[in-house]
Amino acid sequence: MQLSPGSWSILALAVLSSIALYFYPIQHHVGTSYWTFSLDLNLMYEPAIKGWNDSHPDPEEQVTTYVIGTDPLSRRLQSGFLSGTPVPDLTDVESSMAANFFSGPLDAVGFTDLTDLVHKEGLDKKLNPASFSPWTNRGRIFGLPHDVHPVLLAYRADIVEAAGIDVSKIETWDDFVRVMSPLMKGPEGQRYLLNVWETNPRTMEILLLQAGGGFFDQDLKPVLNSDANARVLATIVTWIAGPKRICVNAPDFDAEGNYLYLHGEVLCSLMPDWLSGIWMKDLPGMSGKMKLMPLPAWDKGGLRTSVVGGTMLGIPKRAPNFERSWAFAKYLYLNPELARAMFRRVGIITPVREFWSDPVFDEPNPYFSGQANGRLYVNMAPSVPMRTSSPYKPLAVIAVNDALIRLKHYAERNNVYDEAALEVQAHRELETAQGVIKRKMAANAFLSSTP
Amino acid sequence: MKPFFSQARLTPYLFLSPFLIIFCVFLAYPLYESAILAFSQTYGPSHRIWVGFANFKNMAADPDFWIALKNTFIYTLASVTIQLPLALILALILNQPGLKGRAIFRLIFFLPSLVGLVFVAMMFSLMLGDRDGLVNVMLRGVIPGFPQEFPWLQNYVMPSLILASLWMYVGFNMVYFLAALQSVNQDAIDAANIDGANAFQRFFYVTLPEIRPVLGFVVLLSVIGSLQLFELPFVLLGGPGPERSGLTLVMYLYQNGFERSDLGFASAIGWTLAILLMGLALIQRRLSRNE
Repeated sequence: MQLSPGSWSILALAVLSSIALYFYPIQHHVGTSYWTFSLDLNLMYEPAIKGWNDSHPDPEEQVTTYVIGTDPLSRRLQSGFLSGTPVPDLTDVESSMAANFFSGPLDAVGFTDLTDLVHKEGLDKKLNPASFSPWTNRGRIFGLPHDVHPVLLAYRADIVEAAGIDVSKIETWDDFVRVMSPLMKGPEGQRYLLNVWETNPRTMEILLLQAGGGFFDQDLKPVLNSDANARVLATIVTWIAGPKRICVNAPDFDAEGNYLYLHGEVLCSLMPDWLSGIWMKDLPGMSGKMKLMPLPAWDKGGLRTSVVGGTMLGIPKRAPNFERSWAFAKYLYLNPELARAMFRRVGIITPVREFWSDPVFDEPNPYFSGQANGRLYVNMAPSVPMRTSSPYKPLAVIAVNDALIRLKHYAERNNVYDEAALEVQAHRELETAQGVIKRKMAANAFLSSTP
Repeated sequence: MKPFFSQARLTPYLFLSPFLIIFCVFLAYPLYESAILAFSQTYGPSHRIWVGFANFKNMAADPDFWIALKNTFIYTLASVTIQLPLALILALILNQPGLKGRAIFRLIFFLPSLVGLVFVAMMFSLMLGDRDGLVNVMLRGVIPGFPQEFPWLQNYVMPSLILASLWMYVGFNMVYFLAALQSVNQDAIDAANIDGANAFQRFFYVTLPEIRPVLGFVVLLSVIGSLQLFELPFVLLGGPGPERSGLTLVMYLYQNGFERSDLGFASAIGWTLAILLMGLALIQRRLSRNE
């Protein structure tokens, strides 16, 4: 057989690359692998993990962390659960990705069911009960909560106090609008009181949960069309459009949003503890200008906080040594040093109730004009609303957000900015949204498999 | 008679086998599997329920599917009716004999297609910011009384997408047209000139018929590319956008398959898209055959 030089070259390359591939060293993982999605979290974990590794010299017990972006982590984890590709021994899971893991039959959830252990070891009492709710599906707990994430109202203290406004007189959202509205005409033009917009579903969710609304009941049935939700949507529309507009779109993690804050064009923001940590890092220019206060309630005596976001620590069912992973999970998440580091580094308060008396939370914070922001968040922690972990929650948020957008269009088209009239229309829009979610849920044959 | 397993009988199959193996493993089997999946509800490989036509029925009953279909068709229509004529006009201008700096202009118009859709989307998201985006700042400078806030990416999603894709693809398609124009028979144009044909007549009766095969090819490419639109709205809007105004068929497939892990439903969407593409390709083929 006669081969041309080109064919010989291709053949030689094929043989050489096959040999190289065969001998290429494949790193076989030894020990406990831990995936997390945040560089900040990883840096925070480092001292605690070093402590664990020092006291557990056995290579099988050594913990190695891998920082993987939120989306790739979610996809790799789901691929691992569904198709058997490698999964870690432990992993952090962020609330936005959790729904995906709960959309199949209960026995196909890739995380170990921790319910019995959590009850047996008293962790359900040791940790803030509401913090378990996003990780509890069909009555089973699939992760240890990492946080509480209460929400406060951050405001530009330099501007508000210079105007002689006493925020302690603000008890309800009506008070807030009445007391703060004079600030809307600033020396350099129009100012807005609050960062809430129809394209920001996170702020909508905060307000819905605070008002006692939400998306699903504890049996995971959709409850989108509720009086509380209708009221909140109607109020938001009067805040973002029409003659009584007080809000502006100042997106977080965005140059334009940051510009509006830095230039005092928006005075207040709904501020979960994790966002306060991000502000301290990303918006140093606001240091000493901000203060925190409880959220104004929807009614006198109502809830002064809300909740948004969250992370859990899960142990995949295929983790080779569950006891080892569980021991490490408890060591890490119940570690007082980590609780302090978590607050100092990223502003997040621990869900471990006995740590709430730690002096770290009483330290004055120059960023928040000397306020002890930790104590303010801790004070709200026991009151954060319960949530649900429906796999349809992301869709429900979108559906309610669509209802809000349609309601705003309705108000603008008909020049209707009366809250009572808008509530009637909000019910109609929410009924449509609820219908969409119900139809999607009905099409899922797996969700009927209850424990 | 040769024995069935004779060398002469087997040799052609031996030569064909590398292609056949690759074709079967990477194309035929996945196609077969996805066709089965389209009639199933799945949660990973171990949980599969045969649901017959339920996926297609649910898809037809889902308002999101119709929104995605509408958006995709509007974008496709804009690609064909705005992008391609613009590309052709640019090509005609650059094809003028005696035009100085033609190579530079060609490079300038072609360059945006080299940067990648994700980069283009990120750039346009900065340019189209509500208050302080470059476009609004410019418009405020030029038009007195232009509003402080002009939410392009909220109220004008489709025009924003079309604008971004125009910037990116006009130069790319222009290169095809330019190549076709340069192969137009100059003698025919000269003859038309002598016969007294004006520029429009020369274009419609001489140039256009000559470049028609390339035009058909570019239209088909543009339609297929537009129907597969995904990255541009996904990055520009961070998802489907307000009221799903930027939701496309491929994004709808992605959401169901990879965000909600229902590969069965996603396969049904994929097959619908494939049938749509095949139908359009057949129409295009029929039209070009008639010509």
